[in-house]
Amino acid sequence: MNAQQILQNVQLSGESRGNLAVAQTIDKQEFTRLCERLVAEFQLPLSLFYATDKRSEGHGFGIHALFSVDATHEWILISAHLPESDPRYESLTKSVMAAHWYERYAMDMFGIIAEGHPDFRRLVHHENVPLHTHPLRKDFAWNTKMEHANEPYPMHHIKGEGIYEIPVGPIHAGIIEPGHFRFNVAGERIITLEGKLFFTHKGVEKLLEGKTITEAMPFIEGVSGDMAASHALAYVQAVEDLAKTNVPQRAKELRTLIAELERITMHTHDIANMAGMGTGFTVMAAHGFRIKEKMMRLSERVFGNRFWKGFVVPGGVGKALSKDQLSDIAKTTKEVVDEMQDLYNLGRHSDGLRERLETTGLLTKEVAVAYGALGLPARASGIDRDVRRDHPYAAYAELKPEIQVLSKGDVYARWKLRALEMVESLKLVETVCGAKNEGPISAEVNIKEGMGIGAVESWRGESLCVVYVKDGVIDRCVVRDPSFCNWALFGEIGPGNIVPDFPLCNKSLNLSYSGTDL
Amino acid sequence: MNAFLLTGIQIVAVLGISPFTVGLVRMFKARLQGRHGASPFLPYITIATLLKKQMVISKSTSWVFKIVPFVVLGSTIFLVCVLPLVVFGGMFASLGHFIIIAGVLALGAVFLVMGGLESASAFGGMGASREMTLASLVEPAVITTFATFAVVTGAFTIDAMFQGAHILTSPALVPAVAALIMIALAENARYPVDNPATHLELTMVHEAMVLEYSGPYLALLEYASAIKLTIFSLLVANVLFPLTLASNLSAAAIAIALGFVVVKIVIVSFSLALLESVIAKMRFYRMHEFLTIAFFIALSGLVFALMSISL
Repeated sequence: MNAQQILQNVQLSGESRGNLAVAQTIDKQEFTRLCERLVAEFQLPLSLFYATDKRSEGHGFGIHALFSVDATHEWILISAHLPESDPRYESLTKSVMAAHWYERYAMDMFGIIAEGHPDFRRLVHHENVPLHTHPLRKDFAWNTKMEHANEPYPMHHIKGEGIYEIPVGPIHAGIIEPGHFRFNVAGERIITLEGKLFFTHKGVEKLLEGKTITEAMPFIEGVSGDMAASHALAYVQAVEDLAKTNVPQRAKELRTLIAELERITMHTHDIANMAGMGTGFTVMAAHGFRIKEKMMRLSERVFGNRFWKGFVVPGGVGKALSKDQLSDIAKTTKEVVDEMQDLYNLGRHSDGLRERLETTGLLTKEVAVAYGALGLPARASGIDRDVRRDHPYAAYAELKPEIQVLSKGDVYARWKLRALEMVESLKLVETVCGAKNEGPISAEVNIKEGMGIGAVESWRGESLCVVYVKDGVIDRCVVRDPSFCNWALFGEIGPGNIVPDFPLCNKSLNLSYSGTDL
Repeated sequence: MNAFLLTGIQIVAVLGISPFTVGLVRMFKARLQGRHGASPFLPYITIATLLKKQMVISKSTSWVFKIVPFVVLGSTIFLVCVLPLVVFGGMFASLGHFIIIAGVLALGAVFLVMGGLESASAFGGMGASREMTLASLVEPAVITTFATFAVVTGAFTIDAMFQGAHILTSPALVPAVAALIMIALAENARYPVDNPATHLELTMVHEAMVLEYSGPYLALLEYASAIKLTIFSLLVANVLFPLTLASNLSAAAIAIALGFVVVKIVIVSFSLALLESVIAKMRFYRMHEFLTIAFFIALSGLVFALMSISL
């Protein structure tokens, strides 16, 4: 069933813009019921929920839910308006679990109340943020200095004999980003686990407002350093969707190339980090990180920086790659993937390592679906979704990567899937490097008013970007890192494991604090 | 007088070489993993640096926190005095009854645990609970292992046991030595029981207990664990090659024994580094199996020993 038919089925009219079906704005009472129907009856995954401030247009606040119609490669956008005087609506989370963080985010950032939300605590704002601070409202200046408040931010507690609470972080022993984790344990067994993130809120979404399309690029690439190319790609695709730009074929191929190179780099890192640092099988870490360095130096040689930045630009790619550069990429990548396969086989045949990885950090398919898990962890739990196939972008429609799905859902499955995906990525890289290297590499982008959506399957999972442009500058830019959806999975993956295995669970998801903490 | 000098030489040699042992293991590990690694003499500098540093001590601690480093270091130095590490027949060799040795090992462990609990931090308590779990599992294996030696050699001090224990003539000792190696790994917080290089707060055992210590106290604790590693390295090597120890005060015997100490340390360090590079750390709940296996191997040695006597 395609998007239009689904909309007709629920008695909604809507306009189709390419692969996006925008339903007419509906009443807020209907909004929740309709979203529930789309999830329950049509099994559409809720891909994104976000709010907008439309008070200057006299519409109060907007709430928007984006659903993915994977089969026909389409999106459905459902929107409702909330009056400024009473920005309330009935919470979606009560029946659509995947909306839980989005709604809390909107409560903090816009002051939009999701009535009946099962978890009414703050999400982004910590104790020090005063009540009624809603940074994404248009009347909140980006440089506002806030009073230091002391609002409650309670964590879950469990009472009982022998229950022990372990606070970990936000400052950790390793050099990682800040995040606080609260374990309630009985002996070594984890009973509940909860995270408190958002320690270094950067205000990216606020800073993007009023920027031109090109001014915004460095901010987008800085959202999460290990996903610079993917975030940039999602953003430029949103802009091109809005501007109806026809990106030249060679540019599309080169975009595929950089996205896959980023995937190989980070999968290398994760394979080494999980097996090496997570279990103490140090030889994996020593070699994995050495091999990852080859990829980062490749990026340095070809693109002038170590993190695949600066290549993806609105309309195409930033520069043409010479024949030598392409053969350097193909050669280095082949070397890296081959070496990593050897390392993967070494690990695969180590009983000690498999004993640690298997059955650890189990994510069942049911939980993954309910929480709206994305990307590699979802695929390792049997969810067959991948933006590269379900909403083809860049040159994926022609290249048709084979999407691999595993069913076990444990740390080992996630570790193994990385090794498998890497081989597929190498094929794509070799195809692009071997293809005819000619033709234009960028097109002009004629910015119009309106909105556009871009989706990218980063190495971490589905990265989304929604851009609203007004008067030639960005009015609202929603950047949704896959980490935002996957962080809450810890509450389900952790319990049942023992505390010393948690670092392994953590590394197997490798989520970005920065990408969540916009 | 001779015995006194022999013990003196042993104490100086072991206390002197201990930081080198730790540094050597780290260097071998680095080399095996394709890294250059720091100099094996780095731990001397680390300890010297720590001794000069200021201490930060939690206000919630009591006097126990302050005596822990001294008790732990004291208990390891006692072991250096009584065990046959460089020489046989030292001054205090008669104190080395195997029950006393097991008791002193436990004393060090208990005080370390109390130090971990003292600061009332979550990690200290976590490490303490893990250490006690391990200690209660190691203890029976230690007793059984030494009991095997006692049965085979008819002696109760470690010194006399090792002098009389010839592994080639008494096969019952083979399982005992295997158990001793497993105990040594567990006692020293090495793989597969604990990761000595961990930066992961959640997985550590020994490091979690000393987490709240800083400055000179930390130096004492680090030194104590270096000495302990050296003691066990030498013990394992000595039981296999008892002829490498000096038993009289002649210059030649002493020189040969000291030379062998370095050789033994190098070989054991390399083997340990190799082991730690080729396996993953065990899941914590598998420790029970590991140490139970150690106990049963030791027990089988004891059974063989008893049978060979009665026949």
